[in-house]
Amino acid sequence: MPRTPPEPAAPADSFTGGAPAAPRAADRLLLGALRHSAGRGLALALVAAASTGAALALPAVLGHTLDLLLGRHGTGAGPWVALCAGLVCLAAVFDAVDELLSATTTARSTAWLRHRALRHVLAAGPRLGDRFAPGDLVARLVGGTERAGAAPAGLAGTVAAVAGPVGGIVALGLVDPWLAAVFLAGAPLLVLLLRAFARASSDSLTAYQRLQGDIAGRLLEALGGARTIAAAGTAGRERARILAPLPALSRHGHRVWQVQGRSTAQAATLVPLLQIAVLAVGGLRLAQHHLTVGDLLAASRYAVLATGVGVLVGQLGTLVHSRTAARRLADVTTVPPVRYGTRTLPPDGPGTLELHGVTVTLDGRPVLCDVSLRVPGGTTLAVVGRSGSGKSLLAAVAGRLTDPDTGDVTLDGVPLRDLTHDALRRAVGHAFARPALLGGTIAGTLALGVDAPPPAALTAAARAARADDFVLRLPAGYATPCADAPLSGGERQRLGLARAFAHAGRLLVLDDATSSLDSVTEHHVRQALVRDVAARTRLIVAHRATTAAAADRVAWLEDGRVRAVGTHERLWRHHPGYRAVFAG
Amino acid sequence: MNGWHSGWRFLARRRAAVARLAGWSVVETAHTFAVGYAPARALDAGFLADRPAVGLLWLAVAALAVVVGAYGTGRTYGGVAALTEPLRDALVRRVVDRALRTPEGNGAALSRLTHQVEIARDTFAGLVMVSRSFVFTAVGALTGLFLLAPVLLLFVVPPLLLGLGLFVAALRPLARRQEAYLAADEALALSLGEVCEGLRDVTAAGAERAVAHDAGARVDEARRAATALARWTVARATALAVAGRLPMVPLLAATPWLLAHDVTPGALVGALTYLTQSLLPALHQLVHGLATSGSRLTVVLRRLTGTGSPSHRGKGAYGRRRPRTGGGRHRRPRKPAPPPTAAPAPPPTAAPAPSPLPAPPPAGHDTAQVAPAVAFHDVTFGYGLHAEPVVHGLDLVLPAGARLVVVGPSGVGKSTVAGLLAGVLVPWSGSVRVAGLPATAQGREARRVVVPQEAYVFSGTVGENLRYLCGDTPGDAAVLDAARTIGAGPLLKRLGGLAAPLDPARLSAGERQLIALTRAYLAPAPLAVLDEAACHLDPAAEARAERAFAARPGGTLVVVAHRTGSARRADRVLLMDGPRTALGTHDELMRRSALYRALMGDGGAGRRFLRPTRPPAICGLRRPGSAPRSCG
Repeated sequence: MPRTPPEPAAPADSFTGGAPAAPRAADRLLLGALRHSAGRGLALALVAAASTGAALALPAVLGHTLDLLLGRHGTGAGPWVALCAGLVCLAAVFDAVDELLSATTTARSTAWLRHRALRHVLAAGPRLGDRFAPGDLVARLVGGTERAGAAPAGLAGTVAAVAGPVGGIVALGLVDPWLAAVFLAGAPLLVLLLRAFARASSDSLTAYQRLQGDIAGRLLEALGGARTIAAAGTAGRERARILAPLPALSRHGHRVWQVQGRSTAQAATLVPLLQIAVLAVGGLRLAQHHLTVGDLLAASRYAVLATGVGVLVGQLGTLVHSRTAARRLADVTTVPPVRYGTRTLPPDGPGTLELHGVTVTLDGRPVLCDVSLRVPGGTTLAVVGRSGSGKSLLAAVAGRLTDPDTGDVTLDGVPLRDLTHDALRRAVGHAFARPALLGGTIAGTLALGVDAPPPAALTAAARAARADDFVLRLPAGYATPCADAPLSGGERQRLGLARAFAHAGRLLVLDDATSSLDSVTEHHVRQALVRDVAARTRLIVAHRATTAAAADRVAWLEDGRVRAVGTHERLWRHHPGYRAVFAG
Repeated sequence: MNGWHSGWRFLARRRAAVARLAGWSVVETAHTFAVGYAPARALDAGFLADRPAVGLLWLAVAALAVVVGAYGTGRTYGGVAALTEPLRDALVRRVVDRALRTPEGNGAALSRLTHQVEIARDTFAGLVMVSRSFVFTAVGALTGLFLLAPVLLLFVVPPLLLGLGLFVAALRPLARRQEAYLAADEALALSLGEVCEGLRDVTAAGAERAVAHDAGARVDEARRAATALARWTVARATALAVAGRLPMVPLLAATPWLLAHDVTPGALVGALTYLTQSLLPALHQLVHGLATSGSRLTVVLRRLTGTGSPSHRGKGAYGRRRPRTGGGRHRRPRKPAPPPTAAPAPPPTAAPAPSPLPAPPPAGHDTAQVAPAVAFHDVTFGYGLHAEPVVHGLDLVLPAGARLVVVGPSGVGKSTVAGLLAGVLVPWSGSVRVAGLPATAQGREARRVVVPQEAYVFSGTVGENLRYLCGDTPGDAAVLDAARTIGAGPLLKRLGGLAAPLDPARLSAGERQLIALTRAYLAPAPLAVLDEAACHLDPAAEARAERAFAARPGGTLVVVAHRTGSARRADRVLLMDGPRTALGTHDELMRRSALYRALMGDGGAGRRFLRPTRPPAICGLRRPGSAPRSCG
């Protein structure tokens, strides 16, 4: 098989976030995978060793058999022919078992690593998203685990890969020391000779990948401007623009193949030439009656086995790849999982939210600075501020999507950190500007939570979020797969709201969750919020004056600090800066 | 099996490349000669005949053959490239065409372009290499055996054929397992992609357990598929053993007989060497490469050529919506026009094909100059076959120089009006005319310019981006002037002028809109349609850009707006409320329409609060049964 250029990294994969790789964590991960497949790994190593043993024994037995057969009457050759037949079959069986065990062991380790990584990713939560782009994470979780999962089988294979060439050279020496000497002297000489012809070859590959990225980038731009292009009727021009680098790509592609052809040709020269050298010396020794024809046959085969160093290099390459992949997986585990407490909320609490001296720093820059707020149970606090003032972070802290560096957040007097996972998530609901619709179907995405509410509760929540009517118009209603439902931004938002409505017990955090709704729909949602939703306390990040006006109080953020808290009317009247936030 | 047909056709069209590949492959078989025939002769004629010099000579010939064969091997890569690179080019072209025609998410197109095309390229090359290598090695080895002693073929060919038969029989189930494995892998990637993109939502919902369960099920499915595939590899290994290893046993068993029938010891050694060192490796490659590469190629090609892609079904069948979900809607099946409503027979606009001649303007006028800038006559339009119309019986006439703003609740279809004006949507019935000609007529680009919400900026110079719609006619000064008028002057200065390269990734959404607006301002078309085109600009900048468009000489302006400022500035407002519409000035609509007042409430909130207890009367939009109190 030709060695083909490695696939270029997708844009998302090029993200190289993460702390300096943790080699020890990576090795621990691989050891864990190894331990998980210990039995299979051991069996695999044994089978591989046995397979190598058969491969090493066969030439000698074959040679001896041939000598016996060539002898005067072929006396006593019968058992040896049977032995040959047995070895041939044994080698075939071992190879088949080896292949089967390798694949199943890799599948097993891969699944183990995937489950583990998935559990960790879910436990670490959105903080992982700050460090790793989603595409990058998926690449690590799907491709990375597969490569790391190949380690146990790779390790077992390495045993055989070492035994093959070493055994080959030893066997050559046993047949005739001269042959081993020729091989050992000739191999480095030939490698050096061939090296002289080799030239740097990675330039074309790099250029190829760059041009490919260029085409992808152009296509991405054009897709972003699809409506402009359709209206301007410039699709033909765009096609030409996107494909402009194609001839150069093709040129470099040809070059890559040529370079590969050259290196393959070199490899294809090395082994047979060594073999011929061994045969030449062996032939001379045969002419001197120091060797038999069978010896020569065996020697020729051992010379090939001895050049199996290439296989060893490949095996080691697999192991190195596994370790690199494991390191990239271990990187993910450097983001610690969220720890939950053991307390629950007092029953029948009003849902009073309090922030005490909350400070959050990102990359050394304070994003929230000593924020203290109190949202009495059953009231609505709007959070208002220019973009970048820390509103979304405040919303995240209020529902413990992230923890503050200093300060405390409490709900009905209990610090959020002390709550159990289920108590916290049952009490607090979030809705976002761009909700992710997981869960398969529309009903599944609404039901996503600690517990799945009954269907009636879901439709009620959807009605409150004014999502019911458009959901019913989908081909399969609530059973429509999310991927098949072409939803507008406003419709997605309404599903996100419905999900939060259906689950939140005490506190509802809406982070710009109605930005794509028009004023009328938003007004209806706001009413439903007061009337139909269980969570009585609400923290709403808002851009519109109407939303702020409808809240009981408004917290006005500026550069991560609370500039003022009060009713919208009062702030509007007394602070021109506050009015400027809504300018428009 | 269509894939195979097109594969053959692809090869048939490149006969020259195939012939070259075959030629170099023949050269490559020199290698096979070197491995078996030459050593056999070296033994028989040289070392065993006490003529070591002759033996060495034969081996020297073998060494030469190795080098020649390796040269051939190297050159076959060029031949493979001559087949593979055109395939890649064709696939890239197809992917780009398809992406431009039916946008369905950037991720899909990018993955096709970078990842899948490369897989197709690699697997195709692998298939060509492996099958070619097997064919020529087998022919070479069998020829060598024949030359050594024809009788040897008797022991080699039958097991070889038997093994190949076994392999061919296993190929189909193997390929099926391989496809299942790839599908499971893809389902896993899709599921994990959803999880990784939605981590915030999963945590917020506290749904870690449920999600771990669902995604974990995909992990287990992938494992099951991999294991099922692994089991079938045993069949593969069996075929390999039968074809490649088995012949050795009868050959040995028959050796006394062979020796008695003039087969030399050298020929026997050569035969055994051919088996272990030529046929077995070539078979190994074939057996491993064909099943894996074959099914991977099939799967990837199917995806690339887009048969049965799930994203094709269903779109647009869900009613009236989707102003901004991409251009897919532009090519939906047109609904058979409802019976014409006894109208004064406007020329049918159904034909999306360019009409050769401008249709006559409405009766009473004779030149395009007096035709109104925009004329909607009884226009009805909807998406999809079973959808309700988004626009129903719309009549609207704008004289040149008019300034119209389209407002309405989100999702009501404001952008549909823009699409009809642009001529990228074709009404079910009625007519849309721009400057007296059907909006869909040829040359429409010269009559109107459309700026959608997502501004298109591409890698190139600033000047190329700005001149995208106007060509080279306006000089640099005029272009810079336009940029200043729109309010993009400081941006251009920062970017470094017209000749400076533009990196779209480094522009904010607002800056991109400034570029797109300047570009549209420079376009010669008299009608400008701004579809939320300034939504990322601050209100003052938006007002400035709109003023600039309104002041274009003879320019007519249609603005689809989210913000309220645009409506105040316009001389006409089209209010969309479901399929019904109301047309008037801002003041008129403020008096007349509760919906309009509610929509405008946004900006006036500082003065008049919309408390939840005093909702605006918006009975028109209320669904029966919901919120009865809001209709007091």
